[in-house]
Amino acid sequence: MTEASGPSPPRLTAGQWFTRQIGRRRETSFALGLLIVLLVINVLLNPARFAPAAWGATIGLAAPLVAASIAATPAILGGRGGIDVSVGPLMGFANAIIVQALIADAGISSPLAVIPALLAVGVLAGALNGALAAFVRIQPIVATLGTYLLFSGLTLTIVPAPTGTVPPWIQSLSGQLSIVPLAALIIAWLAIKQLPYYDQLMAVGSDDRASYTAGVPVAWVRFLSYCLTGLFASVAGLLLTALIGSADPNVGGGFTLLSISAVALGGVSLAGGRGGLLAAVVGAADIFLLQSALTYFNVSTFVLQIAYGLILVASISLNGMTAMFERWIATR
Amino acid sequence: MIVRLSPTGRRVAGAILLAIALHVLGSILIDGYSSEFTVRSMLVLASLLGVASIGQTLVVLIGGIDLSTPFVIGFANVVAAQLYGDGMNFVLVCLMVGVLALVIGAVNGALSSTLAIHPLIVTLGVGTAIQGAVLLWTAGFPAGSAPETVTKFVSIGGHAGPLPVPWLVPSFLVVIAIISVVLARTPFGRRLYAVGSNPSAAPYALISPRVVWTTTYALSALFAAAAGVLLLGFTGSAYGDVGQPYLFQTIAAVVIGGTTLVGGRGGLIGTAAGALVLIEINTLLIGLGLSPAMVEAALGVLIIALVSLYGREPHVRATI
Repeated sequence: MTEASGPSPPRLTAGQWFTRQIGRRRETSFALGLLIVLLVINVLLNPARFAPAAWGATIGLAAPLVAASIAATPAILGGRGGIDVSVGPLMGFANAIIVQALIADAGISSPLAVIPALLAVGVLAGALNGALAAFVRIQPIVATLGTYLLFSGLTLTIVPAPTGTVPPWIQSLSGQLSIVPLAALIIAWLAIKQLPYYDQLMAVGSDDRASYTAGVPVAWVRFLSYCLTGLFASVAGLLLTALIGSADPNVGGGFTLLSISAVALGGVSLAGGRGGLLAAVVGAADIFLLQSALTYFNVSTFVLQIAYGLILVASISLNGMTAMFERWIATR
Repeated sequence: MIVRLSPTGRRVAGAILLAIALHVLGSILIDGYSSEFTVRSMLVLASLLGVASIGQTLVVLIGGIDLSTPFVIGFANVVAAQLYGDGMNFVLVCLMVGVLALVIGAVNGALSSTLAIHPLIVTLGVGTAIQGAVLLWTAGFPAGSAPETVTKFVSIGGHAGPLPVPWLVPSFLVVIAIISVVLARTPFGRRLYAVGSNPSAAPYALISPRVVWTTTYALSALFAAAAGVLLLGFTGSAYGDVGQPYLFQTIAAVVIGGTTLVGGRGGLIGTAAGALVLIEINTLLIGLGLSPAMVEAALGVLIIALVSLYGREPHVRATI
């Protein structure tokens, strides 16, 4: 055995060493720590909800937000202001399509027909956002704000008021089978990570000009990121439908800001190029567990809202302070 | 004489022409679209949206965004009504609301710039907490009303001296003019544009981005609070969610008015035109007999169509 030759690895600064010890992404490690604390608090407060027998229902309760956060991620990763504020209304639109257009009007309720139709709606909606943001080059927040209004207007036209029922297979997605759609999303993401596309997306998000000069088709990469966001958002819409068991035009919109908060909390950089599925899921789980713990104390929803806002700001600020501290250490 | 306009100037001119074109279109399509009452109410609504959008414009100019606007509007609306209803002097009420709003905004700006956190998240979190606090204070049922002066100030039927519009409209135009001059001619204004154009170069010109961010966000919250108090006079009673439509509408007004979200380019005259364009579109769609749901959908499509006409970003290859 000979020792490996070549230059010895560079000495790490204290800051780099610190980062390496606690994980690859400091922000996500922080959110992960918060997750563990919140999980312990929740299990102590409410053992029944977190007992293995109730896992299906609990995951079903968290699933729409988790899926919405996974959906919000690809567009943000693309960088240069990439963001999709239409995720929430698209979930509501998917909800209306499933319950009213497919099941009630067309009488189609087989999963083999509903799921492909739903995914197609999601991809098409995402493609619309992507075309506007990447090819027409409208600032993403404005383009998706336009489709935000479009999707919520269409949803209200299809379903003016809460209505409808869902078949048993959809109901089961908020119970025993709640893990299946989430697992599908995770597998899809892991598959995408194996593709050259993933590296291109992260490269474009980090530095689109360098990527462009290196021959990466920047506009197409961004376009596809919105398609992915739309696709995942339609799955989130299915999970939302399973949870509420009907069509409701008013529940989708709220998921936009929640999902963006979740991904930021989890450590997806809103500047693009950094973060991923783990960050989105952990951030969403944080917010869900926070709400769940606060609800247990039976405080008014007003207190819940204050606490939620303050904890969001406090945890993001702590993250920022840690980053500043690390930069300070690195200059020592 | 040929007037050469900068790209920003072209966008502002585009927004103004668009507002005029929409009005002509409305007058052709809809009977009574140019009636005195319709024009008056559109001007009042556009001014209300305009006041809320002043702050959003300033914040966008420095490269930020303020999602706390609707929450601060609701906060000012409810707190002003409640305090005035408790018998407090209205001038004192306005002072208190104004100072509180400045503090809220300063927290937004200072946190985002000092800790390098995306303002989207900070303003959203602070705004959510503020709204919760107001709801908690009033137990969800705000009471109180606006004094007669404010109601008259914004009333659609009001008169500003010889002008057939309430004082709100000329006052808004004067405020816009003053701030435009401040932006163009004072050190504060130049600092604002400098930070927006290049935040990392600004410190070399001895400009502290932190100070600029803190003051600008404080101003943004102040104008949102002003809009909240004016809306109290307009609707007559306090309502915590009165600002909700303004979340995206202020951003849309800013962008239609030619201010780019990357910062450093744009101004308030465009925003005023953008607010007018939004109100014209809304009135036109309702006048055409569309359902509220279809109005919303069509508004979305039209915002996209308008911005794609003159608000497009450069291609990557143009930025290298």
